[in-house]
Amino acid sequence: MYIHDYSYISPQHTFRETDIASIVEYTDNKLTAIEPGYADIPPGVLRRMGKAVRIGIGAAMPVIQHQSIDGIIIGTANGGMEDCIKFLNQIIDYDEGMLTPGSFVQSTPNAIAGQIGLLDKNTGYNITHVHLGLAFENALLDAFMMVREHPGTQYLVGAVDVISSYNYHIDLLKGTFRKDLISNKDLYNTTTTGTIAGEGAGTLRVNDIPENAVAQIRAIKMIHTEDENEIKAALQDFLRQQVNPNGAPDLFISGENGDERLLKYYRAAESVFPDDTTIARYKHLCGDFPTASSIALWLACYKSPLPNHCIKRPGSLRQHQSIVIYNNYYGKQHGFVYLTKYQHSQLLLNFLYDAGTGCRFFPVFMI
Amino acid sequence: MEKEQLKQQLKEQIIQFLNLTNLKPEDIKDDEPLFGEGLGLDSIDSIELIVLLSREYGITIEDPKEGRKVLVDINTMVDYISAHRTK
Amino acid sequence: MSRIFITGIGIITALGDSAEKNRQALINEVCGVSPLTNFDTKYAGSRPCGEIKKPTAELQEGLNAHEHGVTRTSVLALHAFNQSVNDAGLSIAEISSPHTAVIGASTVGGMCLTDELYNDANMTTGSGSEYLASYDAASVVLYLQSRYQLNGLLNTINTACSSSANAIMYGARLLKNGLVKKVIAGGTDSLAKYTINGFNALHILSPDLCTPFDRDRKGLNLGEAAAFVVLEKEENLDGKKVYAEIAGFGNSNDAFHPSSLSNEGNGPYLCMQKALEEAKLNPGDIDFINAHGTGTENNDLVESKAMLRIFKTSPPFISTKANTGHTLGAAGAVEAIYSILNLYHQEIYPAIHFQQSIEETGLSPQPDYRKTSLKHVMSNSFGFGGNCTSLIFSKA
Repeated sequence: MYIHDYSYISPQHTFRETDIASIVEYTDNKLTAIEPGYADIPPGVLRRMGKAVRIGIGAAMPVIQHQSIDGIIIGTANGGMEDCIKFLNQIIDYDEGMLTPGSFVQSTPNAIAGQIGLLDKNTGYNITHVHLGLAFENALLDAFMMVREHPGTQYLVGAVDVISSYNYHIDLLKGTFRKDLISNKDLYNTTTTGTIAGEGAGTLRVNDIPENAVAQIRAIKMIHTEDENEIKAALQDFLRQQVNPNGAPDLFISGENGDERLLKYYRAAESVFPDDTTIARYKHLCGDFPTASSIALWLACYKSPLPNHCIKRPGSLRQHQSIVIYNNYYGKQHGFVYLTKYQHSQLLLNFLYDAGTGCRFFPVFMI
Repeated sequence: MEKEQLKQQLKEQIIQFLNLTNLKPEDIKDDEPLFGEGLGLDSIDSIELIVLLSREYGITIEDPKEGRKVLVDINTMVDYISAHRTK
Repeated sequence: MSRIFITGIGIITALGDSAEKNRQALINEVCGVSPLTNFDTKYAGSRPCGEIKKPTAELQEGLNAHEHGVTRTSVLALHAFNQSVNDAGLSIAEISSPHTAVIGASTVGGMCLTDELYNDANMTTGSGSEYLASYDAASVVLYLQSRYQLNGLLNTINTACSSSANAIMYGARLLKNGLVKKVIAGGTDSLAKYTINGFNALHILSPDLCTPFDRDRKGLNLGEAAAFVVLEKEENLDGKKVYAEIAGFGNSNDAFHPSSLSNEGNGPYLCMQKALEEAKLNPGDIDFINAHGTGTENNDLVESKAMLRIFKTSPPFISTKANTGHTLGAAGAVEAIYSILNLYHQEIYPAIHFQQSIEETGLSPQPDYRKTSLKHVMSNSFGFGGNCTSLIFSKA
């Protein structure tokens, strides 16, 4: 499955005019998305949207405006939870009296995919995966199956999650977030429990066409466990079977989030790679949210080398073509994604290789 | 309350309630249809406007047919509010 | 690609806590909709619901499900999940195998605890309730994961009222793509103040028992349920009992409005058409339809029109939502099981509460119970956001 366009609205300058050389700093443990102006969305439609729907559509517009797509596949843990809490508060505040239904309708997580479909007049496949920390990985897997089942079609795959009063308060009570305020620039410098909150919306266009592709997603694996040794073993298997016999990709993008309780998983994962492999991190850019691995994928597809602030260990390779992404949520849900990025000189070779082996449409997926 | 004053107040409330942030009260004409052409509101908005009438003016509309007669334009709404308001 | 068969079914609705009890209730024209008794809401007396009368504690007791933070939605799911895997004769090792996927669906998740959620969401200090990790829809499958130590692919789908039809479709596709060997897929939703107030605010909750496809229908009744099916590939059946084949599925987006269907019923039409294509069937091959049929003004008219568009003259159909209420995220899986029972027992169930056809379409649902020869049954589910899914089951 090949990635073509990828647009991302995040707490950094990742949308349209991208600039991630310097970091936008946040000091309140909440990294909120930098929203564009939404000039392309009719005001009558925009007025009813909560933030999740808004940034989801904002990120989708550059893709759907220029491309005809055959379906919409969204991963979101919470969707429009801000609307959910708005409606919930009404129920209690007005004692189940006369309530306005707008926020109820918008509170269903599939309002994002539904609204993108509505704006795009897209009557194709439309689905919303909500499996918390693996919602995005499941969306990718779904897209992979769609592309394989229907050769010649292409899909918009997205990830959306926002900081809402609902999830922020509840996650705070759960101990997800740090109690003390830090700068996102210092996320990895401390050892304490909890991370910082973040949000983002990314959409990518995928199909089975290697020409002009940015990258090829070759394998996805998802596991539920709390045992770091299982993670290590699973990652070793994944690398051996999917990447190459040496099991070494050029770049490993880790979901390390500053929470010391989760460090053991990331350390276990890092220990699998030889010294050559570059290790990068990204949650200082976007904070943590259930579908944050989508921004790791965006970085993996980024046109330039990753900025230094993302590099944890430089490794010895200057070019990063084979990339493994690992993210975990609450130390329970773990996802691996393996992709190869195309440099222009490489593209033709890869295409010939794929055509020669007849495996162009069938990158091996191990579940 | 004077009719003109009520119209102004109602327009402000509609803008706020339906989050019509791109509009100012003077953009809404008194005889401009609220639904379809005109303001382009839809069925969810009509329910929200019925809730507005209940919360702001103490008017209960149970029958959707009644609602359709009231929610035509600003003029019809203001006439109905003047005649039926309980607060 | 392989043929996929249903080898196990598990279900709990207001009609009963097993497939056979549900079947008997459908045959005997039982309506499970009644005034609410399990929790407090202003609408307990005025908006009847398809409520499972057992309180949560009693359900928990029966399943020995006393884990921290377990919700009614998860307990209902566990009941149906257990039943389906037992019915299919899956061993614990098979259930927890890395090659077995569990695909769940829910819209309300742990938000059935509406008041607890309100308190937790508005609290910034203190320790919160035991349900902090239980509100989201994924909490159900994560509960099943911890209960059974599941090692396979897990997913949760939420596309509103079509959620569990999509979960079954996703499961069938995982099998067809050769990514897993077995799938346990379904959905669950329990009644909640949240959804009752939401649908009530949209003015689509009927004060009376709902009357799907009737000219004078007044809206829907909500319900609660859980239902799971076990899906296996033909080559792995090994002489096992099978209920039916899942022959086709299709999903499309109506792309018209966030909460109502287009006049022409494009989404419903397209999903039925896609399902027929996938099953390589013609419209005339469909012997019976379990319609979405919520009993709202909008749905039943549009669905009727879409059925007429695709079938010219509609095959016999009913909406079992008159019996169970609209069980939202569980509805697709509940009605999939009813369709499977149609095929397995070669019988069709009668519509209840129906009196007069909608003038514009003139369709009348199946009036009486009948033993009949059935090859292909279609089950339709449509949800908010214009999400439309059609499944086709075939006689095994």
